[in-house]
Amino acid sequence: MTNAIMVSGLTKTYQDFVLDHVSFTVPSGSIVGLIGENGAGKSTTINAALGLIQKEDGVVSILDSEELDGDVKEQIGVVFDGSNYPEILSPRKLNRVMKNIYRTWDEQAYLRLLKQFSLPVDKQIRQFSKGMKMKLAISVAFSHHSRLLLLDEATSGLDPVVRDDILDMLLDFVQDEEHSILVSSHITSDLEKIADYIVFIHEGKVVFEKPKDELIERYGIIKCGAAQFDALDKSDIISYRKMDYEWQILVSDRERMQKKYPKALVVPATIDEIMLLYVKGEK
Amino acid sequence: MKGVLVKDLYIARSNILVMIVSLVVLGFGLSFLLETSALLVLAPVAATTAAFISITSDAASKWNKNVITMPVSRNQIIGEKFLFYILLAILGMLTALVPCVVLTCFGMDITLHSLLLYGSIGMSATLLAGGISLPCAYLFDPEKSQIVFMMSFMASTGIITGLVLLINLVFPVKENILLAFHIVLIISVIWFFISYRIAVKVYQKRDIS
Repeated sequence: MTNAIMVSGLTKTYQDFVLDHVSFTVPSGSIVGLIGENGAGKSTTINAALGLIQKEDGVVSILDSEELDGDVKEQIGVVFDGSNYPEILSPRKLNRVMKNIYRTWDEQAYLRLLKQFSLPVDKQIRQFSKGMKMKLAISVAFSHHSRLLLLDEATSGLDPVVRDDILDMLLDFVQDEEHSILVSSHITSDLEKIADYIVFIHEGKVVFEKPKDELIERYGIIKCGAAQFDALDKSDIISYRKMDYEWQILVSDRERMQKKYPKALVVPATIDEIMLLYVKGEK
Repeated sequence: MKGVLVKDLYIARSNILVMIVSLVVLGFGLSFLLETSALLVLAPVAATTAAFISITSDAASKWNKNVITMPVSRNQIIGEKFLFYILLAILGMLTALVPCVVLTCFGMDITLHSLLLYGSIGMSATLLAGGISLPCAYLFDPEKSQIVFMMSFMASTGIITGLVLLINLVFPVKENILLAFHIVLIISVIWFFISYRIAVKVYQKRDIS
């Protein structure tokens, strides 16, 4: 399987933050979810991959090219948090702009998407709500026959119905094995629906890169009291948190743990819970 | 680059229309007071304000972050803004020529000498000012670059005066005034090109986030 994105040892230093040798891949035909708390380095990673910021070290290969030239960019659709289009323009004027930027611009597809999202073609973008702006940005990303989509918090600010529509569009998009998506989001429930892999970034470092199914189907949380916690084999514990009335222990194989500790309550873990236990838990 | 230019024309369209009407009205109005060709000094400078409206709009919408992900290089982004600036200056110049041509047709005495002289002064001031303010627009935040934009026109008049005084050391400017201001224009063109190269270099290394 080839990779649509290969990030290796990506490093960027700011005064108060370091993106520290971040490595992960986005296999072709898959959706990779980038998760992490605010300021963890998700946007910095995407910005560095897109050449918006200068990296200090590391290699980024997009669509088999380490150089992000016009031909590669032609095949990438990017959606940031916010439309980032001049607000004086209308979708119709934006169409004329994009027609002169992308060789592969598909006007019919764009107009179809505007209609699907019920976006007025002649209204200025400044009069759009945040949700409408996001829909417009997504329409643009889908209208030049991209092979790769990068979405940075693109579904935030959208209502659940529209979010669901967009998630369906993303799933449709990767039906073609040549197509891939890297999506960063705070809304981990969205990623649980669509992602094939999850990359978790914390304090500028990749904590794990795993298939989503492994996280959902194998990871678990042991909920127990202090005595039971003391009896646990510490090598089974990824991280733990002491709550008001119980201990929560993250484990990587809940079925094995259930067999090993038959009296313990082992429940499936959501991506949110896994993230929380990694960030707030102790090791 | 064409798409980015189309975007800037959309942003500046209303401003350009106002500028065209104002210059034509001012041209005819000035004819009662002084030589209409003097409008050529003001016209290109006034016309280029639209370039800064587009720069401010780009900053407000974070367009530059978006456009870099499109098949447009950083060189092209800078090149387009310099090209847009020059096109606006030329448009301003051509607009100011309209009342001059019309009034000449109605018998007013407007000489080629005065058109070339005022045209050279106006274009030199515009190119010198743009050479200062355009790179700064990509170095500083929008508020600071607006201040630089205003200061750059004052600076350009100072530079022109300085250049004329320097030329006067080589030959008497009063007797060769057209030649002197053509030399100033050539220096301004070279300065504008050097400024473009500097802006490209600076923008290549700049983090956009």
